[in-house]
Amino acid sequence: MNVGVIGLGHMGMLHLMNCRHIDGVKVTAAADTSKAALKRAESFGVKNLFTDYHDLLNGYPKVNAVIISLPNFLHFESVKSALESGIDVFVEKPLAVSVKEGREIAKLVEKSGRKLMVGHCMRFIEAAEKLKAALDEGRIGDLEVVTLEQILNGPFAHGAVPTPVPEWWFDPQKTGGGVLLDLGYHMIDLFRFFVGEESKVLFSWFEHKFNLPMEDGAILVLKSCKSNVRGIINVGWFQKSVFPEYNFRMILHGCAGYISSDNLVPKNIYLHAIKEGAKNILRKIIGKKIEPLSYSYYYEAYYKELRQFFDCIKWDCDTPVSAVDGLKTLEIIEEAYQNFDKNHAYGGFG
Amino acid sequence: MGDVVGLVRTHSSGEDIKEAVGKVLDLIDFKPKEPIRSVDIKVNLCYYWHASTGYTTDPRIVGGIIDCLRERYGKDIRFRIVEADGTAMRTKYAFLMLGYEELAKRKNVELFNLSQDEIREEKVCVNGREIAFQIPQSLLKSDLFINVPKLKIMRETKITCALKNIYGCIAYPRKIIYHSILNEAIVGINKILRPNLTIVDGIVALGRCPIKLCLIMASKDAFSIDWIASQIMGFNPSKVKFLKIAIKEKLGNLSGIEIRGEEDIDFFRRLFPKENFFSSKTWWTLQFRALTLYKKISGDILPPFLERN
Repeated sequence: MNVGVIGLGHMGMLHLMNCRHIDGVKVTAAADTSKAALKRAESFGVKNLFTDYHDLLNGYPKVNAVIISLPNFLHFESVKSALESGIDVFVEKPLAVSVKEGREIAKLVEKSGRKLMVGHCMRFIEAAEKLKAALDEGRIGDLEVVTLEQILNGPFAHGAVPTPVPEWWFDPQKTGGGVLLDLGYHMIDLFRFFVGEESKVLFSWFEHKFNLPMEDGAILVLKSCKSNVRGIINVGWFQKSVFPEYNFRMILHGCAGYISSDNLVPKNIYLHAIKEGAKNILRKIIGKKIEPLSYSYYYEAYYKELRQFFDCIKWDCDTPVSAVDGLKTLEIIEEAYQNFDKNHAYGGFG
Repeated sequence: MGDVVGLVRTHSSGEDIKEAVGKVLDLIDFKPKEPIRSVDIKVNLCYYWHASTGYTTDPRIVGGIIDCLRERYGKDIRFRIVEADGTAMRTKYAFLMLGYEELAKRKNVELFNLSQDEIREEKVCVNGREIAFQIPQSLLKSDLFINVPKLKIMRETKITCALKNIYGCIAYPRKIIYHSILNEAIVGINKILRPNLTIVDGIVALGRCPIKLCLIMASKDAFSIDWIASQIMGFNPSKVKFLKIAIKEKLGNLSGIEIRGEEDIDFFRRLFPKENFFSSKTWWTLQFRALTLYKKISGDILPPFLERN
């Protein structure tokens, strides 16, 4: 399967590297406006390099699928172009920057008959999979409340090699929102993943600790429409993240008990890395396939989601995270923003 | 000659900062050449990390300095809060995100990005090595140049305080180019840019974690400040490489360093969360080396944001 990667920032490069470990997948083309990024892709054996992604979509040899890791505001246009070119699409979250765009993408997917998967990677974290399995097995009884928290530095995280935060992250027109559309998007998707039904916003609150035009702190209360499960979501960009710590937790509270991701993630991330790393070295020695990124625990989810996307193309089945999933998440986010604005306008809060 | 270093305790709420600044200036007998028409205040905004993390200068101390100087030397003094772009940090966003835009409006002062100043390249010789720096020229013209660093540890240099904050004045954003000769570069830039006064923000200091030390230090000599600051942070100053180079290059002198005010620096030293192995450069280097080696052996992936190319 010939694959193209559009956008070679950190995420795009990670996807490109992950593809190299997936059987039957070959990254044959890449597009980015940065010549340095293209050169980097070339060092991974990518032959066809473009500064304009339209050329990649219409280029030869034709790619069967593309991975889109562009800034948020470019998702809609690039996804649309890829679908219209008859190419399957994996797009980084968020699906788009508005419900309007999301709806149009969902329609285009249906019309084109192509596969589309949105990068809701948190579902693929082992702890989330274990929580879901325990819930489905009935181990905590009826689910009543889901608590989801993720507080990090978000786009302001300081990499091992310091590089400036891309300018578009400071422009709300280009990001489409703040932390709610960034980290909150994942938490809302996890709520939907656990509950599995339509939900609405009961309460939303936003903070601007860093005086940015978009929120850097958000608290959301959701309620599922049928079984009345409540979701409490707490996300922030305000915390200085220190590698390898990862301030993320999920707790499911049911009538028969509760389960927390704190009990499922490795207690000591270093020991985990050593153990998984040793396993991979052993696999390598005996000529078996390694399990990419298993040492890092959280980053493994990026590999797993991508593998599933390509499996869905191969076996012609539905993707685990569809355009509709992306759209439903966007609808909740838009509702949360409107809810907050309305309450402010009427003097209800703050 | 070393100089007097004043130490004053303040309240972590920041209510009495102006008074604390006044007190510490009195302790060091600070009497600037008058009239003062323009003051440049160099803060430390190394990245978009809130002042409560201990990484960046607290806008409240800058507000206290402005109020104190206006009260003493005249309401018409023109203040500029200055900072230069860093390798990853952009001053315009740091000013916005860390509360300086709001402070500038409230105090009617100017925010200035030194990377956008008129620049001149200057060369200095340190340890027998010639180093070139891009110097923002307007810094040399102010009547009073105040350095307001943080009190914090740094993996590369052990401590970062007065002398290291002047390194942040280099107009060229990609200061990472100096990192292989960081100690020499710190001394070099201080040979060119000499602040008239250093007031250290130790309200929240940073060791292996942040600590509300509620300390304000001041001196007319940046070297003297660093000599005392390194002791507070649990380091033997004679083992801090850039301080050793500073002595050799005659930028600093131990004789004449005198502590006034809170003279019991052991009190602060006991409170300060000292560096341990897990916050040291050795541990970080080990981690990244182990990861790189593992990647090489196994053929696994290193996420791009963890790469150190």
